[in-house]
Amino acid sequence: MWAVLKKELKSYFLSPIGYVAIGLFLLIFSLFFYLTTIEQRAIDLGNLYFNTARYGLLIIVPIITMRMFAEERKNGTEQLLLTSPKSITGIVFGKLLAAVGLIAITLVISLMYYIILCFFQAPNITSVLVMMLGFLLLSMAAISFGMFASSITENQIIAAIITIVFLVIPWFLPNLNESFSIIDLMSSYQKFPAGIISIKEVVNLLSFSAVFILITIIIMQRRKSVK
Amino acid sequence: MIEIKNVTKRYPNITAVDNINFEVKDGEIVGFLGPNGAGKSTTMNMITGFIEPTEGQIIVNGYDISKKPKKAKKQIGYMPEGTPLYMELTVKEFIKYMAELKSVKHKQMKEMINKIIEQTGLKEVENKLIRNLSRGYKQRVSLAGALVGNPDVIVLDEPTVGLDPKQITEIRSLIKELGKNHTVILSSHILPEVSQICERVVIINHGKIVAIDTPEKLESKTKEKNAILVTVEDQKENMKNIKELIKEIEEIKFIKDNQDGTKQYEIISNENVDLRKKLFEILPKQEITIFELKKSESTLEDAFIKLIDNATEEVISEEPVKDKEKIKKEKEEKKQEKAKQKKMKKEEKENRKKGGEK
Repeated sequence: MWAVLKKELKSYFLSPIGYVAIGLFLLIFSLFFYLTTIEQRAIDLGNLYFNTARYGLLIIVPIITMRMFAEERKNGTEQLLLTSPKSITGIVFGKLLAAVGLIAITLVISLMYYIILCFFQAPNITSVLVMMLGFLLLSMAAISFGMFASSITENQIIAAIITIVFLVIPWFLPNLNESFSIIDLMSSYQKFPAGIISIKEVVNLLSFSAVFILITIIIMQRRKSVK
Repeated sequence: MIEIKNVTKRYPNITAVDNINFEVKDGEIVGFLGPNGAGKSTTMNMITGFIEPTEGQIIVNGYDISKKPKKAKKQIGYMPEGTPLYMELTVKEFIKYMAELKSVKHKQMKEMINKIIEQTGLKEVENKLIRNLSRGYKQRVSLAGALVGNPDVIVLDEPTVGLDPKQITEIRSLIKELGKNHTVILSSHILPEVSQICERVVIINHGKIVAIDTPEKLESKTKEKNAILVTVEDQKENMKNIKELIKEIEEIKFIKDNQDGTKQYEIISNENVDLRKKLFEILPKQEITIFELKKSESTLEDAFIKLIDNATEEVISEEPVKDKEKIKKEKEEKKQEKAKQKKMKKEEKENRKKGGEK
């Protein structure tokens, strides 16, 4: 797992993808920082993280997940990976954690908004860290879906579109029927922005991730006999 | 040692590999030969555990690749077809990543990487991005990836495709070198390559094994019975009668009309006699002028084509790429043969004249 994790993380920064993702992310962060904090004259970062999660992940997650398996499949490097003694589970987790790591890097940078606010009145640092933890879990859930999308095709664009569609559709579904709102990943990011760790939300996000990690592992293992 | 037992790979519409069986002993270099689409890569992908056989068993150094993939894969170094590489890494980074994937111990890593870089001649490009390397170097990087971790078994899928002659000879000698302390399986559709490097050849076509033997034995096995190729000018169509005149002839096969008044025939005799002398004597008497006469020699190429043609009626086999040197040699041989024939003709004419005078 570590070998894959290390290499994937390195690859993000050897290609423009890592920089583009982080740059876009910070752009969106800053936009919402202006809209939710400066314009409102509020000393609260909850709305900042909530809005960035809702709109930012929609753009960032497809960018960082689309290449995960699709690129390897297309270039044939999948053969190197799958004929190595590393287990598929290890490979999948390595890739997942590398993408989560990229988000974590952005989150660390996003501490600057906290520092900026400190000049006026310091927000509660624990609740900011809770927001970040929730953000990370939420990202992991979205990334595991993106990873799944990347594992079923060798076309990166298709993988990205599947992920975007999955993240956008929940916005409209509640219009049809209120009960659809549970599909929305954002429904599990309601209490985190308030600085509260809700077991329900944590379990929701983790189990969602687990399901798609598992499906990805199964797909990769199945490919051996289907190919 | 690799044991392949009753291995079959079926896809919805096609059986890519059909019940093949063979063994590769320790320290052996085995060539896997067949036309494109014969099932070479599929077999190699199964040996390396990239795909699962539909039926059958593959055992690498005692470990079943399906049941104990981790241990079995550790024994194997694989250079896949088309040399897939991580283009964004440098040569050194790539080899290091492969070493990490193969769980090479941290202490040995540096030493091993340097050794492999030296072995594959990548020293001067070790810090270059793989993206910017030439095809030949990429091929070597891919080979280096297969050597990492010092695996017992090295599987090379078309290792010399797309290289220039100099690079081909370099890679070949490297493979030969590797064969001294590794078991090597390599696939190819280039015959001279296989006959030069490999101790044993497995010929496969349409997913089935057609033959397994040493290159030399395959050649002799498929050798034509004493055949002679003759190009003649035969205006009176007397070639038909030759068979009656020379008893040793078993068959005269018409091969082609050269459209310049000459025709080519293949004359086959079952006995171990050299008919050339007799032909020189008798053909002119039948008012047949000999333009060219040579013994047809069977090569591994003939063996290959013959075996594959026998196995199936319809095979598109590629013209093997020959080394420049070989082509030159062949040309020279032809020249010498022609010169000989001219000399012989002259002598014959003189003899006839003398006979006439008498």
